[in-house]
Amino acid sequence: MDISVKIGKLTLKNPVTVASGTAGYGEELSAYIDISRLGAVFTKGLSIKPREGNRGNRIIETPSGVLNSIGLENVGLDEFLKFKLPFLLKSGATVIPNIAGHSEEENEELCDVLSHTAGIDAVELNVSCPNVKQGGMAFGTDITIFTRLLEKARKKTGGCLIVKLSPNVTDITEFAAAAELCGADAVSAVNTFLGMKIDIKTRRPHFENKVAGLSGPAIKPLAVRAVYQIYEKVNIPVIGIGGISGTEDALEFIMAGASAVSIGTMNMVDPKISVDIIDGIREYMDSKKIGGLAEIKGIAHIRSGE
Amino acid sequence: MKPVLVEKPIEIARDHYLLRITGLPEPSAGQFVNIKIGKGTDPLLRRPFSVFNYSEGTTEIVIKIAGKGTSLLKVSEPGEIDAIGPLGMGFSVLKTGSALLAGGGVGNAPLYYLAKKLKESGTGVKFVYGARSSEYIYLLEEFKKVSDDLTVTTDDGSSGKKGLAAEEALAAGGADIIYTCGPAGMMRAISDGSSAPVEASMENYFGCGIGICSGCTIRTVGGLKRACVDGPVMEGKKIIWEELCR
Ligand SMILES: Cc1cc2nc3c(=O)[nH]c(=O)nc-3n(C[C@H](O)[C@H](O)[C@H](O)COP(=O)(O)OP(=O)(O)OC[C@H]3O[C@@H](n4cnc5c(N)ncnc54)[C@H](O)[C@@H]3O)c2cc1C
Ligand SMILES: Cc1cc2nc3c(=O)[nH]c(=O)nc-3n(C[C@H](O)[C@H](O)[C@H](O)COP(=O)(O)O)c2cc1C
Ligand code: FES
Repeated sequence: MDISVKIGKLTLKNPVTVASGTAGYGEELSAYIDISRLGAVFTKGLSIKPREGNRGNRIIETPSGVLNSIGLENVGLDEFLKFKLPFLLKSGATVIPNIAGHSEEENEELCDVLSHTAGIDAVELNVSCPNVKQGGMAFGTDITIFTRLLEKARKKTGGCLIVKLSPNVTDITEFAAAAELCGADAVSAVNTFLGMKIDIKTRRPHFENKVAGLSGPAIKPLAVRAVYQIYEKVNIPVIGIGGISGTEDALEFIMAGASAVSIGTMNMVDPKISVDIIDGIREYMDSKKIGGLAEIKGIAHIRSGE
Repeated sequence: MKPVLVEKPIEIARDHYLLRITGLPEPSAGQFVNIKIGKGTDPLLRRPFSVFNYSEGTTEIVIKIAGKGTSLLKVSEPGEIDAIGPLGMGFSVLKTGSALLAGGGVGNAPLYYLAKKLKESGTGVKFVYGARSSEYIYLLEEFKKVSDDLTVTTDDGSSGKKGLAAEEALAAGGADIIYTCGPAGMMRAISDGSSAPVEASMENYFGCGIGICSGCTIRTVGGLKRACVDGPVMEGKKIIWEELCR
């Protein structure tokens, strides 16, 4: 059975990847799983210089979800290239760095350097981090700024360019369509939803940044909806992300139109979940006599009798 | 071998329960286990608990009821339990001389296993056991067995000396090292006031407990450190406590 997936020129072994920010740089997950088995490892959002991220409270559980305000803490480009990437490549992982620059120029430089580094065939541009005070927010939520960034990023990116969409917009399909027009090879949908928590003891927002990003099973129906709508609008592959906590959830995204899926928050709960889902998808296909993922991708869009 | 909860959680003091789990590897003192409570998605994240004791294949933890997860955990039935561990970096167990151990509330728990290990190495153990009031004191006789000298302090004077464990510990002085686990304010006071090195076991909010989310970082003189993998035990004098004690 072939469960490989094509994203632009890149071929993933299988459709199951781990999402940016919930897999570190692969080192810690390696203690639990063979990361070479994954379709891809999306690494933590990178900036040129190391970033400390936000201070104060950074994470808290919500009903079936998590609010985070990490603020893109990361090791920076140099350390990534010197230490993190070699480890990932040595482990046999397919690495897709997540780029989280805070200006057009920073994103352009990161796209340029990373996409022209040996061992990296794709980059994911994060235009939607909701919890960083400068930049971030504006790229992913304003169609003009978004389009301008993508045009520039596309010019600098040698390999496959994946755009990770923000769900904090009125019509996410408009952004997906713009990404396709700008020459993106795929879109990832979705990043975290803006949420908030008020501490009733202090009577203040729980996070210093006030708002934070909601993820986990709580957002799954919202994310499935986004993938379904995007699939109707664009022809490039969609990577479905949001609250996936098992094989059934992954299949739901694939039937909504996702070519691949990404596991985020649930890695934090069960570090083995991604490889279990790979096995689960194979078992499902076996039991239903499905020869390839194309047979079920987007199947929810086909009306019976068609 | 899958971890198994051998019996129902035992009430050992007001709001405190002892859980006995088999099937986990031998821990070092100060490590923690990370427990998924229930099979559903609420509670979602694992809950970290320090190792209170380990003996002949059984890992013991003490839980204090704090909210949703611990309330569910205390009514667990015996059987399989989804526990990962032991995790994190524990205490350095001093091999000679004398150690002062200062705990606050449920933070006394990891110091029990540490005291046991120190005693085995022949290190002197002076224990300051801090609690809110007498009804919250658990397993005191066990703590006495692993200490050469044990002082109880309570906030309200209902048991032992009335006062703060930190003050009692600093007044005692004379030890080659202080190990502490308790509220941040207590660990800060000890770290600031002690002339001897201090090892503090952090119990801040964790997201994953395995180093992948960066939700648990603590600022130290050496930069941000993840409490779950670089700790939970950290050098008290290197922690920038201002950020934790606001
Ligand atoms: C390394 C480590 C070791 C620990 N060891 C023990 C132990 O041995 N025994 C024990 O009883 N507890 C221990 N804790 C704390 C324990 O993990 C929390 O009390 C528990 O996760 C609370 O879960 P809950 O679902 O009951 O509470 P929740 O419903 O999640 O929370 C209830 C309230 O407590 C607050 N809260 C929750 N966790 C924390 C925290 N870690 N710090 C500050 N506030 C918090 C929440 O914000 C909320 O206001 C340890 C924590 C760490 C990080
Ligand atoms: C702790 C944490 C950190 C994250 N960091 C990033 C990041 O650096 N870049 C990014 O594009 N997305 C980041 N995300 C978003 C996830 O990659 C994912 O899109 C989102 O959490 C939804 O998926 P989930 O519900 O499976 O977690 C982060 C999410 C979490 C929970
Ligand atoms: S709790 Fe996730 S990195 Fe420490």
